[in-house]
Amino acid sequence: MTLDPWLISGMVVGMASTIVCIVAAVMKKKPNDVTLLALAAVELFIIIYAIAAAVRLLTGESLAGAGWEFWGYVFTVAMLPVAAFYWAMMERTHWSNYVMGAVGITSVVMLARMGQIWYGTAVPAQALNPLLGL
Amino acid sequence: MRLTDNINGSGKTDKTTDHVPEGRTSGPGRLLIAVYGIFALSATARASFQIATSFADAPLAYSLSAFAAVVYIVATISLAKPGATWAKVATIAICIELIGVIVVGALSFLDAAAFEHASVWSKFGQGYGYIPLLLPIIGLIWLYRHRDAK
Repeated sequence: MTLDPWLISGMVVGMASTIVCIVAAVMKKKPNDVTLLALAAVELFIIIYAIAAAVRLLTGESLAGAGWEFWGYVFTVAMLPVAAFYWAMMERTHWSNYVMGAVGITSVVMLARMGQIWYGTAVPAQALNPLLGL
Repeated sequence: MRLTDNINGSGKTDKTTDHVPEGRTSGPGRLLIAVYGIFALSATARASFQIATSFADAPLAYSLSAFAAVVYIVATISLAKPGATWAKVATIAICIELIGVIVVGALSFLDAAAFEHASVWSKFGQGYGYIPLLLPIIGLIWLYRHRDAK
């Protein structure tokens, strides 16, 4: 796993988002501006990451792994906050904050795997590091 | 929760905290469904990728991955649907999941050579923070506690 600035900032945003949501949930707060913004921050980061990835690829950097796998991850991780928002808002209780809290940590795991595809640290598919095997 | 009911009943509502409905698909159930959904998604994506790119390398392991993905999908949908029938479907799916994670987990330790190609259930889901082992246990407890609820 290559710890580049993209992965580090993704980890900071994702973990912060998860922690904010879990703290709010433990306090039995309903979803509020703070937890919704925490979720939106993850989405915003992923959009910036995706645009930056496209720019990097167009300006000469290359992707070590399969392009469709990488963009599949980008698309999936971008849909996560949307799906969690939809699922959490259907029933607004403090449990919605736990649901939204699951997004940040999941996105960190997926970004780590995307980093592997980008730099090719990864090993062929059959020997995927199980920790990052999402 | 009872306390909250009383507070709300007496007109002193606190709008930032809440009253959690008690149904099988409410409250903690929604988190359970969300986590199942994440596993359904990731297991499906992973199995599809494995099968699309290198199925011939490990047909057994990758078929197992695909099977696990189907079990997670069925569990997610049946947990999210109200009604006694769906509760039964969820119970069956989660029992299969529990058996799968225990059998595959045990075999991956006993016969590592045959299971060198990782799947979600290898080593009791170690690679996923043992969530694959905990999830069916929590799921069955949840279903048991809501066995009468529709």
